Amino acid sequence: MSVLQKPAGPPAATGPVPFLSRMHEWVTTVDHKKLGTMYVTCGIVYLIIAGLEATMMRWQLAWPGQEVLSPEEFNRLFTMHGTTMVFFVGMPILLGAANVLIPLMIGARDLAFPRLNAFGFWLFFFGSLLLYFSYFGGQGLYGMGSAPDVGWFAYAPLTERTFSRGHSTDYWILGIFVAGIGSTATGINFIATILGMRCKGMTLMKMPLLAWIMLIDSVLIVVALPPLAAGQIMLLFDRLLGAHFFDAQAGGSALLWQNIFWFFGHPEVYILILPGFAFVTEIIPVFSRKVIFGYPLMVAATVAIGFISVGVWAHHMFAVGLSPMLNAIFMGSTMLVGVPTGIKMFNWVATMIGGKIRFETPMLYSTGFLCQFLLGGLTGIFLATVPFDWQVSDSYFVVGHFHYVLFGGLVFAIFAAVYYWFPKVTGRLLNERLGKWQFWLLLIGFNLTFGPMHVSGMLGMPRRIYTYHLDRGWEFWNLLSSIGVIIQLVGFSLFAWNVLHSLFKGRIAGDDPWDAWTLEWSTTSPPPAHNFDEDPVVHSRRPLWDLKHPDDPDWKYE
Amino acid sequence: MSTQPHDEHGIELPQPTSAPMFTAFGFTLMAAGLVTNWVVAAVGFITMMCGIVIWFRNSNPDSREMPAPATDRHPTPVVPKEGGVDHLLSDAGHRARIPMEIHPYSAGIIGGILGGAVMSGFAVVWGLISHGSLWYTVNLLAGAMLSGYADMTTEALCAFRTEGLIVGILIQVVMSIGVGLLYGVTLPLIPRMRLFFSAILVPLMWSGLTWASISIVNPALGDHIEWIWFIASQVVYGVVTGWWIIRSEKIGTMQNWHYLERIGVETPGAREMGADE
Ligand code: HEM
Ligand SMILES: [Cu+2]
Repeated sequence: MSVLQKPAGPPAATGPVPFLSRMHEWVTTVDHKKLGTMYVTCGIVYLIIAGLEATMMRWQLAWPGQEVLSPEEFNRLFTMHGTTMVFFVGMPILLGAANVLIPLMIGARDLAFPRLNAFGFWLFFFGSLLLYFSYFGGQGLYGMGSAPDVGWFAYAPLTERTFSRGHSTDYWILGIFVAGIGSTATGINFIATILGMRCKGMTLMKMPLLAWIMLIDSVLIVVALPPLAAGQIMLLFDRLLGAHFFDAQAGGSALLWQNIFWFFGHPEVYILILPGFAFVTEIIPVFSRKVIFGYPLMVAATVAIGFISVGVWAHHMFAVGLSPMLNAIFMGSTMLVGVPTGIKMFNWVATMIGGKIRFETPMLYSTGFLCQFLLGGLTGIFLATVPFDWQVSDSYFVVGHFHYVLFGGLVFAIFAAVYYWFPKVTGRLLNERLGKWQFWLLLIGFNLTFGPMHVSGMLGMPRRIYTYHLDRGWEFWNLLSSIGVIIQLVGFSLFAWNVLHSLFKGRIAGDDPWDAWTLEWSTTSPPPAHNFDEDPVVHSRRPLWDLKHPDDPDWKYE
Repeated sequence: MSTQPHDEHGIELPQPTSAPMFTAFGFTLMAAGLVTNWVVAAVGFITMMCGIVIWFRNSNPDSREMPAPATDRHPTPVVPKEGGVDHLLSDAGHRARIPMEIHPYSAGIIGGILGGAVMSGFAVVWGLISHGSLWYTVNLLAGAMLSGYADMTTEALCAFRTEGLIVGILIQVVMSIGVGLLYGVTLPLIPRMRLFFSAILVPLMWSGLTWASISIVNPALGDHIEWIWFIASQVVYGVVTGWWIIRSEKIGTMQNWHYLERIGVETPGAREMGADE
């Protein structure tokens, strides 16, 4: 039995709640919807910060010999940009979206461990502040450095005390370490929730695919993040206690760090993209008015991606001189991951074929995702080919590759999700017309920025240089890239305006604005604290379809 | 979907608590203490312990819960849609998979061979007109695979070469059949203007791709290509192959067949037998 107490907050509908108690409500909440909203909001704030960091770098690189930034500032900017985007934009947005959606989609009241969930959020929040505090505190005792400048993968031995004086690298380690513990806790929470809290009738094979994909994603989080934490503690030992794990001159191994980091790092990129897959997998069927093509195969492909992606990490290390045998093995496993990914591509397209497609904003972004992720996946296969990788590793070609998967893929999928679920979370629709303008501006701006990077990379431009000479033939491509950023900025501003405006003035959404089929659309927008007035019972993968079409329910076919 | 009323207690939710935030904040301060001052770490430790104690009291001996706040908003019940659902497939155990009908693969292969043949004829005529040689085009094509061809003079390319003829024909045959098959598979998926797709759009895109990449793939060869003729011969291929495939009779996919039929068991009664299961 549980201890019953009076509700903490004032009862609903008694005039405006004062600001302080509203803040108190958010700070003490254990409600998955509120925590999810806080995650996503913070993620978007960091997206703006990291985006401005990138803008400064592109300004510096717009043409040869610019002096907007010093080399040191440039190093800090690309480190903070990459670290922020991966750990404080990608992770919180995906954890936040999953937080909001998983319980609603599986018909549960909350996550399995609501307080642990809040703990995870606050660790992320304070961890990210700790990293950014380095801009003030990174001087350390030596008065050197400021923010970290060792790159998002912080290769040894650059991170050893000899080369990285002051405390900037320590801030990098600690900020991510703290946030990483939170993510691991949340991953465990998701696994427990999905396995244990599905509503009546929802067998594993009747779960929405988003839940399946998030289950595998959570397993990857639990598998990949602790090794990073271990590596970071070793690095702290090196830096603070004089150990020599990664110090090659004293018998340590710099390569060990690369192995540890990428054993985390490659699964991490899949941890980031899988939720993107999950979003479009939910959106494409609804806007094609068809059931998802090949549900069991989608599940199988997700599981396969989970397995394969922990066995490919050394493709980031082809250029260090592994044995030909190892190179061949990792080349093979990396190409293998293209198979389940390809299956998913085909299934999404097969879902669209013959459908009554409605190109509203969520579908537009999903289609953009399909095209751009395809290009990024293809350059990934190029890079998996060892001899090709030797030519372009550490060049702008690689930068082009991972921005096509992470920006063209993940960020577009995130926008699809925001436009799709914003009405559920806030009760109001985002403006469609602004959304379409934003889509086309982002599409053009993104491709203009990152397409030319493949060319400048093949022309030999290394990544992470702060300027370059006029005689290399890179200036045209760099100028294009920088012009693309301006177009993107306009697009992002439209988005900011759209969100702020629609929050207060947007069209009222109603429970089910998209005529969709999963459980979250069967409750109010926004949902009440307890999600569902009555516990749902489902008979198929599309419970709302069954209700809307009693003459042709899905369970006849599943 | 249906719903189930919940148990007699009414709905209970965990109470809000500041414990997770304090615990997390304290932990972060401890981490920060490593790079600032031990006092920070000490404060962090105390804060974290406070958080942990509140947390413990919050969940022991039983989780502290509160009744769900009352709300007067309730979901609008989902109502059945007017009119039934049309079925593309009757009496199948699954929803229809689109496309329901496809062109036979053989149409793709034969169309590819035909298209490739007409295209070769067209290209040879161009060689005759522009360079007065029967062998010029086939040598040019073979140059994509054979080394040394890229550096040849035009006169050398006009001469007869056995290996050029063999390799050129080989490339043409493989490419024609391959692309024919691809056309055969994709054309049923194109809702409108199939001939435009096969005869104009794809040839133009393919030519564009070749134009953009030839300078990297085979720079010297690129110098010899006359693009108008190149595009025209692609279009000839597209017209013939596309036309052949489109006019072939469509066959149904096996999606609504019983698996016994699909693996080729043609005993009478197989379907009925399977239906019992
Ligand atoms: C078809 C699947 C993919 C393949 C075959 C692939 C292959 C590769 C290879 C071989 C590299 C190393 C290049 C080098 O440093 O020389 C690389 C880098 C990278 N990939 Fe992928 N990739 C794939 C998908 C993805 C996805 C889905 C993501 C993320 C969402 C991603 C993110 C990255 C990142 C961030 C890097 C650069 C890391 C760095 O050096 O900073 N890739 N990829
Ligand atoms: Cu990788």
